Amino acid sequence: MLNTSATRALIKLELTRSLRNKKFLFFSVLYPSFIYLIFSSSAGSGEKVDETGLTVATYLMVSMASFGALTAVLMGNSERIAKERENGWVRQLRLTPLPGRGYVLAKTASAAVVSLPSIIVVFVVAAVFKDVRLDTWQWLALTGVIWAGSLVFAALGVAIGYVASGDAVRPITMIVYFGLSILGGLWMPSTTFPRILQDIAKWLPTHAYAALGRAIEQSEAPHTTDIAVLAVYFVLFAGGAAWLYRKDTLKA
Amino acid sequence: MTTTAAPATTTPVVGFDQVTKTYGSVRAVDGLSLRLYPGETVALLGPNGAGKSTTLDLLLGLKHPDSGTVGVFGTSPREAIVAGRVGAMLQSGGLMDEVTVAELVKLACSLHPKPYKAADVLARAGITQIADRKVNKLSGGQAQRVRFALATAGDSDLIVLDEPTTGMDVSARQAFWATMREQADQGRTVLFATHYLEEADAIADRVLVLHRGRLLADGTAAEIKARAGARRISFDLEGSIEEAALRDLPFLTSFDVSGQTVRIQSSDADATVHALYGLGVYPRNLEVAGLGLEQAFVAITEAEEAKQSC
Repeated sequence: MLNTSATRALIKLELTRSLRNKKFLFFSVLYPSFIYLIFSSSAGSGEKVDETGLTVATYLMVSMASFGALTAVLMGNSERIAKERENGWVRQLRLTPLPGRGYVLAKTASAAVVSLPSIIVVFVVAAVFKDVRLDTWQWLALTGVIWAGSLVFAALGVAIGYVASGDAVRPITMIVYFGLSILGGLWMPSTTFPRILQDIAKWLPTHAYAALGRAIEQSEAPHTTDIAVLAVYFVLFAGGAAWLYRKDTLKA
Repeated sequence: MTTTAAPATTTPVVGFDQVTKTYGSVRAVDGLSLRLYPGETVALLGPNGAGKSTTLDLLLGLKHPDSGTVGVFGTSPREAIVAGRVGAMLQSGGLMDEVTVAELVKLACSLHPKPYKAADVLARAGITQIADRKVNKLSGGQAQRVRFALATAGDSDLIVLDEPTTGMDVSARQAFWATMREQADQGRTVLFATHYLEEADAIADRVLVLHRGRLLADGTAAEIKARAGARRISFDLEGSIEEAALRDLPFLTSFDVSGQTVRIQSSDADATVHALYGLGVYPRNLEVAGLGLEQAFVAITEAEEAKQSC
């Protein structure tokens, strides 16, 4: 059973702390928009991405919004959890009535609050500077899908936070973060990759994640394969995180 | 072994029953049984590796015993914590960083089922002046006070403190124990582990000596000192010292000569001093004193070591 008021108090403080951390805010909220402007400016305004029928600006908007959400939830969870496991804050919290899951929940919830503006800022920049136009339902659905999909990576962040520690957590997070972002086609369309990388990319969660948003831009229903891929990864990451969490609790 | 008398009907605050905890081949806690009763202030003493931290971890439900049972207020440690009956500060307990002291204490209050007002908690821990400071910018002693504030954020019945005054200077330590006494005077049970034996001597009304995971002594500080059974005798001698004759003095438990000063310990100081005069020497600056808790502690643990090595 979750002790909700206790969890809420922790979420509130986690949020205060996130919003105070300028570096974290820069990388999760502003950085994706910068990259978006740089990448989309290198293409002509009417240029389309093969096979999708979407302009480069529209195509990249979903990629970078997904990238921003990924940054917020993955970075927010993995490094902090690893650090707080190490400095003993997790132990101190276990001496309070807060259930252990409340800690993970608070971390994920506060990361999710930061990921929402990182999605919206990319949308606003795309609409204002790159004249991306979509129907109202598409904007709303995009926000909802990208936000909800980021939970997959929040779970991955928790898992990394419990498996890595000390100096290892940052490199591991970075490798996973850039690996998933680039190979999954968030930075450039995976259609530009060599064949072998394209085959790998197809099965990455980030690829499926961006594909959900792209389907909405194309006014289509998201593909079942993408939903299935994300669902499998979510079960994998969340299950792994739960298992690692329990292992850590027994050891601590 | 002396145990503090308590009515049989009282539910012990803490009950360890034949508790064993092993890491690999090391028995950190070895068949430990003990009871703490309401209102006691208890010091947990032991050399490094005696099992103090493991004992506290077991008591707080951070670790689970391999065998035996641990009860807190008649329930499991976790249940007692969820009910808000236990406040604890661990050496290994960290703090959330990048937040202010006040924010962290406020969080601790929100997490406690029977919270005090954050302002009161800050004042009692003596950290009102540093309330706006970031937690990661504190000195060691200040961080200890913040940990103490977290442990006393609510109306808990048992307070557990692991080496609470580490990193504090003497005046901070005195202030800390004054605060701690207030907690005890309100009828709380306080259990603290410490390296500073004078703290145990001055503050605890019961001392537990832990050695190799077992309870070696359990009683008041005075009883522990008596149990060590020895008194210190020191005196100066002029001229050459006949060591062999001095070593043959009756009831000696330790012997040390440095320069003209002889320091010995005896299990029967009266007989030893009498025999000393019988040697025909003229001891000057003769002092006979009881052992401090520290020496008693060393004597008890050394005796145990000797027993185990034979």
